[in-house]
Amino acid sequence: MSPGGSLASLKHCAPPRDDDLDARLARAERRVVRERAARIEAEAIAEQGLRRLYESQQRLLLLQRITDGANRTAEIEAALRVAVTEICRHMDWAFGNALLVSAQDGAVTGCDVWYAADPDAMFPFVEASRHVRFETGVGLPGRILADVRPHWIDDVTADANFPRLPVAAHCGLAAACAFPVMVGDEVAGVLEFFARRLIVPDEDLLGIMGQIGTQLGRVIERDRARRGLIHDALHDAMTRLPNRTLFMERAENAFVRMKANPHACMAVMVVDLDGFKSVNDSLGHQAGDALLIDVATRMQACIAAAEEAARDVGASWRATLARVGGDEFNVLVDDVVDGAAVGRLAEAIHRCLAAPSVLAGTHMRCQASVGIAFSNPTYADVEQMLRDADLAMYRAKSQGRGQSVTFTEQLGTQVRQRTQVEHELRKAIAERQFVLHYQPIVSLDDPDSICGFEALIRWNHPVRGLLSPAEFIDVAEETGLILFIGDWVLREACAQAASWHWRTGGERLPFVSINISPQQFLQPEFVARVHAVLMETGVTPAAVRLEVTEGVAIMDAARTSAILEEIRAWGVKTSLDDFGTGFSSLSYLQSLPFDALKIDRSFVAAMDDSGKSRGIIQAILNLARTMGMTVIAEGIETVEQEELLQRMGCDMGQGFRYGRAEVNAEAFAKLAVC
Amino acid sequence: MKGVVFNLLEQAVTDAYGDDVWIDLLEEAGVHGAYTSLGSYPDSEIVALVGAAARQLDLEAADVLRWFGRAAMPMLAERYQPFFAGHVSARSFILSVNDIIHPEVRKLYSGAGCPQFNFSNDGEGRLVIGYRSPRQMCHLAHGFVEGAADRFGEQVEIEHMACMLEGNPVCRLAVRWLH
Repeated sequence: MSPGGSLASLKHCAPPRDDDLDARLARAERRVVRERAARIEAEAIAEQGLRRLYESQQRLLLLQRITDGANRTAEIEAALRVAVTEICRHMDWAFGNALLVSAQDGAVTGCDVWYAADPDAMFPFVEASRHVRFETGVGLPGRILADVRPHWIDDVTADANFPRLPVAAHCGLAAACAFPVMVGDEVAGVLEFFARRLIVPDEDLLGIMGQIGTQLGRVIERDRARRGLIHDALHDAMTRLPNRTLFMERAENAFVRMKANPHACMAVMVVDLDGFKSVNDSLGHQAGDALLIDVATRMQACIAAAEEAARDVGASWRATLARVGGDEFNVLVDDVVDGAAVGRLAEAIHRCLAAPSVLAGTHMRCQASVGIAFSNPTYADVEQMLRDADLAMYRAKSQGRGQSVTFTEQLGTQVRQRTQVEHELRKAIAERQFVLHYQPIVSLDDPDSICGFEALIRWNHPVRGLLSPAEFIDVAEETGLILFIGDWVLREACAQAASWHWRTGGERLPFVSINISPQQFLQPEFVARVHAVLMETGVTPAAVRLEVTEGVAIMDAARTSAILEEIRAWGVKTSLDDFGTGFSSLSYLQSLPFDALKIDRSFVAAMDDSGKSRGIIQAILNLARTMGMTVIAEGIETVEQEELLQRMGCDMGQGFRYGRAEVNAEAFAKLAVC
Repeated sequence: MKGVVFNLLEQAVTDAYGDDVWIDLLEEAGVHGAYTSLGSYPDSEIVALVGAAARQLDLEAADVLRWFGRAAMPMLAERYQPFFAGHVSARSFILSVNDIIHPEVRKLYSGAGCPQFNFSNDGEGRLVIGYRSPRQMCHLAHGFVEGAADRFGEQVEIEHMACMLEGNPVCRLAVRWLH
């Protein structure tokens, strides 16, 4: 052995013999196993880290979106709506609902602020939740009130303290969670969420929900402070006008005086500013406040001038202008003999608002909608007058900007009727009283050949019989119920088309053309809804055509373009409906990637009498051809119209000549024979 | 295709047929063969591997994928325990698949072609799974569903109602639970 220690001794080891190869192989294999184990451990660590990082980034974005939404508004409901919508969309939960704690009875009540990913399927639960009231400890929101902390339910159908269980089960809901909205230590509201799958609580989620609860609490706090200020004083701090309290005092006094004097009249006006919200949104709170002050000053001046002018001719009415809400003013006109004076006063107010305000170098325009109610023997108190003036104001608003409407019995009846229709519509949605009829669309080159059908909704009203959309669509749109109805139409029509294809063994692939209401189209999740329906019904996307009216398409051309691109990427086609009746310019048409145009029936009807109409249609056809769009003419009734349109190069036609809208069985039968 | 799928395929093949078979497959498929779960590799490589396996085992590629999906489930459960936590049934687990997949794909590659799953119930009480992906791996999804049922001790019957491979826009799998 040489000197140098044990290591040195290894130098003189003999080279490996053959049977050591097995040992070496075994060692090498063990090394591979260890390396692999180390690699897998490294991957697990990295994966977990990356996933947590990703989720935390996403949740911060969520918090940011909600904070932005909360800061943009002084109204609680708007902030809550943003929160509920964003959370549901981020977490892919089926339903979210916001409730507020009432100061009077300490219970928590739904404030009609909710979000449903699948409106049609969730309708019963929406109805059961949007105005629901819970005492402390009762139900999910009640638990939050009692414990002042978040709660989870793994399976709502197995929970002992869940009053809405039957409806939740019917809608396929599985899990739920809820969070408090805190102002200081006190629960001011509750956000509750429901999903069709398990919700797994984790630290991050709890943390984010806590922060959201705090943000929303701040909005509530701001709102309370504002209301508190207004309530204590008698004047609105910002505009120096009388506030609601002072207004009501004067109005009630005037009412009593009027009742005592048979010759005197009084009137109340509700003045609501149009377009104020968009000024606030686009230019910020400070600009909005400055505008309010300017508007208030102008109205004050104009009313004072009108009063003086009236005095000069011997009239003696008095008017009080008050600020009673964010952008809401009331005017009390007292001791008036000539009712027409009130109408003239309303006109004067519109005129004084006509010129734009120039504030900080920017021009801002604000008009108003005015509702007027005159005293009459049927009123028991001034609140009733204000309610009617309010109704008249809403009617004025629906007629456009800068309008005045005076309440009449007829208006009252109309409103009551509309409320009745709304009530019946809700029942219709719950009981599935709607049905789709299908009207054929044919190729003008071969009118016996059906290319597809337009799906048209009908209501099987239990008392009034089969109703066409004209009888209920505008109420549906006003009340937002169109969202549920439109969602049902979309799914039903796609399912029907899928069924046609399946029943013809894939031989025939007629398309189904579906009307999309403006409200549906403007929903932020419209694209996701369409996608979900395509996935669920398995319909061939190329057989689906969505009809969008010109009006809504040009409202936000950039957004419309983005939506159309996404839908077309799946193969779904889109048509511009009622073309020619809107106000779009040709440049819009160029940038909106529609597949087809539908020429409104009014043009087709005028074609017989008017060379000008024919010329217009020819121009539309040329335009469409240049842009690679198909053209469908609606309302074809005679063979002459058909021949003319065919000669002019129109691709497809729809109208009584080819058939009316019929139930599915009839429509399908037509398909089989052509 | 995410690296983890390659890892799972390797493990499934190795467990059933041994290390050497896996190495043979790699060489027959002509792929580079070093896959980390953190990576993403061309779809053509998984297709080539499945094809090679099909030839070696004398099976259809669809059957290989189904077998693989089913065999991979216990391995997924071991590697990704948190995704299985809290679920008391296969249905509950299956409904959560979007929650599992989306962040997994997006955390590494934003906008990467994520497979999409949509769930609804049909008139017969079956869970209808809509599946759509540029990779058209519905048979793998089929196998995963079977594996999930195995894991929770349940029995299922799966009908492949519509298939992207046959030209449908969406694959639809109807799952009936048997008791």
